[in-house]
Amino acid sequence: MTFDPNIPTAQTGTKELYSPVRPKERNWNTQSTPIVQAKTVTGNSLVVVISIMCFLACLTAGTVYLINQSAAAWTDDIASEVTVQLSFDQTTNIDDKLSKISFFLTNQQGVNGVRPLPVEESTALLEPWLGGAANLNDLPVPRLIAIELDRTSPPNMDTLRNGLKKNFPQAVLDDHRRWQSQIQTVTRSLALGGLAVLILVGSATTGIIVSATRSAMASNREIVEVLHFVGATDRFIAREFERHFLSLGVRSGLVGATGALLIFIFMPYFMRLLGGGNMTSAEIRRLLGTAALDMPGFILLGIVVIVIAALCMLTTRYGVYRILNSQHH
Amino acid sequence: MIRLENVALRYGRGPEILRDVNFHLRPGSLHFLTGPSGAGKTSLLRLLFMSIQPTRGLIHLFGQNVTRITPSRRADLRRRIGIVFQDFRLLNHLSTWENVALPLRVTGKKTQDYQEDVTDLLQWVGLGERMYALSPVLSGGEKQRAAIARAVIGKPELLLADEPTGNVDPQMARRLLRLFIELNRLGTSVIIATHDHQLMQQFQAPRLELHDGRIHQVG
Ligand SMILES: Nc1ncnc2c1ncn2[C@@H]1O[C@H](COP(=O)(O)OP(=O)(O)OP(=O)(O)O)[C@@H](O)[C@H]1O
Ligand SMILES: [Mg+2]
Repeated sequence: MTFDPNIPTAQTGTKELYSPVRPKERNWNTQSTPIVQAKTVTGNSLVVVISIMCFLACLTAGTVYLINQSAAAWTDDIASEVTVQLSFDQTTNIDDKLSKISFFLTNQQGVNGVRPLPVEESTALLEPWLGGAANLNDLPVPRLIAIELDRTSPPNMDTLRNGLKKNFPQAVLDDHRRWQSQIQTVTRSLALGGLAVLILVGSATTGIIVSATRSAMASNREIVEVLHFVGATDRFIAREFERHFLSLGVRSGLVGATGALLIFIFMPYFMRLLGGGNMTSAEIRRLLGTAALDMPGFILLGIVVIVIAALCMLTTRYGVYRILNSQHH
Repeated sequence: MIRLENVALRYGRGPEILRDVNFHLRPGSLHFLTGPSGAGKTSLLRLLFMSIQPTRGLIHLFGQNVTRITPSRRADLRRRIGIVFQDFRLLNHLSTWENVALPLRVTGKKTQDYQEDVTDLLQWVGLGERMYALSPVLSGGEKQRAAIARAVIGKPELLLADEPTGNVDPQMARRLLRLFIELNRLGTSVIIATHDHQLMQQFQAPRLELHDGRIHQVG
């Protein structure tokens, strides 16, 4: 057999074998094309669907957070204030009685301040239930005394209640404990409901990503095959797919979170636009506090985005492993 | 290096393509694998590449039993094997350069570490001008050379080539075969499946001949 003098021999070494002539000028094209192309993996409709999922998750998490915040503020207020209610009695001068009770309360241990509410204020409190009718003044409206407690050394409620009862039988002490526990029950069930919604959204997202992974693997079958031929591990192949799903998760997550944020910012205006009037926005404020997210609220939305993105990525990884294990090349 | 014991192969419920195949190849050997079309040359190479499993018998590679192998061990072993497919199997959306670099890329090496090697090898197989062309625009012979370059870029211990000179002119065929011979001199074991009698005459090397599902060693 005859050898071409241009072709190197073993003595020249591997380097030389690959490079008999080393050109000076070279166009280094270091930028590498992704092995799995984004367009074969994550279409626009997938981005839309995952964005909607993230939007719903952020909306739920944000709402539950706001409700919890305002409920905490409520129970806090309520805890530091108790009222004494004096039922209407035609035989006695009620204002006189009111000041006597106030005087009694002022001298009790653990009471910081006492404020008998004027009759107008009491009727104002009833207005939402009875309407602002002019004849409200004629009704036997019970009178109230607001007591501000010393939070550092609160009084024993039972002692206070019994002392009051002994001296003034018509006066009833209301420490709002019932309200407090009711508010807690309501917020707790709202939080549980929110959690259920989050779990549903999470499961739906996982399901969507599982089927998207399956179709991405199917449309990249030949590429996966070639990767196996050149010695790629399943880990490497999974990473090629994961990348796209992670970026899908992050992009959709940000879109969804931004949407939810806009809702939180503009919700009061929306309500007014829909014809609810000022009353509605006041009611929302009563339920959701100021309806404005604070820093921990933003962080919560950030966490939702991170969880969605991680869910997309890990679901894909797991899906790719499962599919690869079920086939041989 | 390679040892087959009583290997038999059939696809599904079809006839036995291979039966009682026994042979042993030492490290650093170079063999031609011949036989009529449909004799099972590609099938035998696929067995050695662990793409399919034998119906019966044992296959040993690099001193390890690979008859039934886990995917992760197979990926490890495949990094020590270069393969040239009869139908090339290049990735259409990658450039020639990227296709050839693929075996190195999947090991997680940095591009800078193999940039020169890939470019030099492409020059050597005559694809210096076609480095950044996507593989669908390459001619049959160019694809074949890219496939060969991809098989040898990782300096494999074993090279399996299925009809590597089927689409090139005799001069390029000789050039490519010299590449294999050079690799072989550097220690790579080589198996070349081919019909090309002229080539086999030019390069005297022992042959494995497939007939009726059996191997006959010649030379
Ligand atoms: N995946 C498959 N399923 C079923 N039968 C197959 C499969 N692959 C190959 N065969 C059959 O096995 C036999 C051997 O095929 P193989 O490709 O190994 O032959 P070959 O020697 O490489 O032929 P050629 O020289 O034409 O490439 C053929 O009869 C073919 O039809
Ligand atoms: Mg064949």
